[in-house]
Amino acid sequence: MSLHLILVEDDAAYAEGLAAELRGLGHRVEHVGDGRQALAAIDREQYDAVILDRMMPRLDGLSVVETLRERGITVPIIMLTALSMASDKVDGLEAGADDYVVKPVEPEELNARIHAVLRGRRWTTRESDTIRAGDIVVSPTSFRAWRGGQPITLANLELKLLTELARHAGEVLTRAMLIERVWGYDFEPETNIVDVYIRRLRIKLTEAGEEDPIETIRGIGYSLKP
Amino acid sequence: MIARVIRRLSLRGLTLAVLALFLIATIATGLSILAANRVTVAQLVDRRIAAIADVVLERDAGEGVPATATLLARMAQLAGERDTGDVGLVLQGADGRVLGGNIRLRRLLPPGLSDLRTRDGITGLSHGRALVRDAGTGRRLTVVAETEPLDSYRSARTRIYLIGFGSIILIVVGGILAFSRLVGRRIAEQRATVEAIIAGDIRHRVPVTGSADEFDRQAAAFNRMLDRIGELMEAMRGQSHDIAHDLRTPLARLRAQLAAMAAEASRPDQAARATDALAQCDTLLAMFAALLRIAEIESGHRQAGFAPFDLPALVEDTATMMMPVAEEAGHQIMVAVERSAISFIGDRQLLTQTLVNLIGNAIKYGRAAGTIRVTLGVTQEGWTLSVADDGPGIAAEDHAQALRRFGRLDQARSATGHGLGLPLVDAVARLHHGRLVLGDAAPGLIVSLILPRA
Repeated sequence: MSLHLILVEDDAAYAEGLAAELRGLGHRVEHVGDGRQALAAIDREQYDAVILDRMMPRLDGLSVVETLRERGITVPIIMLTALSMASDKVDGLEAGADDYVVKPVEPEELNARIHAVLRGRRWTTRESDTIRAGDIVVSPTSFRAWRGGQPITLANLELKLLTELARHAGEVLTRAMLIERVWGYDFEPETNIVDVYIRRLRIKLTEAGEEDPIETIRGIGYSLKP
Repeated sequence: MIARVIRRLSLRGLTLAVLALFLIATIATGLSILAANRVTVAQLVDRRIAAIADVVLERDAGEGVPATATLLARMAQLAGERDTGDVGLVLQGADGRVLGGNIRLRRLLPPGLSDLRTRDGITGLSHGRALVRDAGTGRRLTVVAETEPLDSYRSARTRIYLIGFGSIILIVVGGILAFSRLVGRRIAEQRATVEAIIAGDIRHRVPVTGSADEFDRQAAAFNRMLDRIGELMEAMRGQSHDIAHDLRTPLARLRAQLAAMAAEASRPDQAARATDALAQCDTLLAMFAALLRIAEIESGHRQAGFAPFDLPALVEDTATMMMPVAEEAGHQIMVAVERSAISFIGDRQLLTQTLVNLIGNAIKYGRAAGTIRVTLGVTQEGWTLSVADDGPGIAAEDHAQALRRFGRLDQARSATGHGLGLPLVDAVARLHHGRLVLGDAAPGLIVSLILPRA
């Protein structure tokens, strides 16, 4: 899916590299150097998502997010920053950003997060409790899941993992994203927790000899087939 | 020698030593002055009574020993004169009978000079000197004079001395105590600052009174030093972000290339080597993450986010979550959690990370198909969270080395770690005012986090 993105970043060299990599993934990317230019550009044109550096001259990233949200502009915003402290992250999300990524970020990771935010928007607008992905149905509120109409018994964490995968079916979820959203950790464990739980989930989803619905994206993460 | 003793004295010791020296010197001076005063007065009085005795016993030219009548006449004359009227005179015969005079003696005084006291019963005399001279033909002339010019002169003098020296002592002792108090207080202020900084608050400064004294200059210099350290720390923090930024980006690219190579390799040995390189790349990335995490913890910023939470539940949940990971590696996890009414106040994420790390270590370094014991106990001190494996453990003499950054132990612990796992746990313990203890699980390693009550 080709998206129209705006990259707000004062470090020209870094911005150029990142923009080129995002273009390589098939997106249209515009680059502006500070917060005021960003506000002006967003007023002028419609973007699918904003990639916003946190620390910039003139108008910093946090103020841009606050201004946009005050004006009722709901464009998805992903904050990009060199600050890795947990409190910075909370500040960014509280200001109204949709996600928060620490530099340096691999383009695939950023791409996965942009798509996840867009998909999440579409999902939340749908007033439904059950999530469908192929022949898989998940009901997070009743803690139940089915495959091909047959109930699957899942542990709490496995159900949360399947819910997150199903919610973003067809999109790539990186290990970091899963650790953040399913486990709720603000650190990346050095053990292969995600891989272990994906393996367990796979076993339970293919118990009746069905096809494996989870695709491994080597070196990046996982994706549930839609 | 003395310099060395002085250097070794504490402020309190020095104060007490100076006080003692001062007291000894002052009291000795007072006593010496008192004694000298007495001796001088006695000498003057002695000279005076000797001169009076000379006048009484004077022999006229060509005459023999003066007759008793002559002596008594001279004595009467002296007693009548203004400047010798206070002197007591008595003439005794060879049989001790009083021949004449203006005083009465209660005892026989020895020949020559002697002291007199109140008990000698001479009217109006409490302290004095007496001179007994041979007046010829067995007679004795006794001349008596007071050493006190006034009544109760001695007690008045003692009072004057007590008031004089006493007030000097009081002023000086008070001064020294106030001085040592002041010095102690200013030093305590500096110590409080140092303690606050050790506790992680680098923004703390020594108060400056504005009096521009030695202490103020010292405090100002100290504060400038702290400013400089703060700047350097800030620069270092910035630098670690720069390092993370500058090195992680190429590392991330390298990782992506290695992943592609591993996937596309035509020969299995090539794939294996690429996978191996990929693992090393991940270790490097994990090392950056751990370094930045330790820097974040040591900056103390996370203390602002401390909140009460259910620690037993966290330990149980995290251990349960890690069970499948341990099972895949062939280990089993046993959990024993003691419940308690006291709630724990701290950083939920950091304690979770700590436990995940410790269990991860136990999986990595424990005996194959071993048991990992996770326990949470409540003691007098607070909470004790322990993770024990039944692997080869760490020798007691290597415990300190294991807690040092990059202090990875070569043989016992295999070469897969990056040497920042235990230092990170140690930093988490210190952030919670606790400590990390390594012990022998016989066999195996037991790592305990002692977390005091808030």
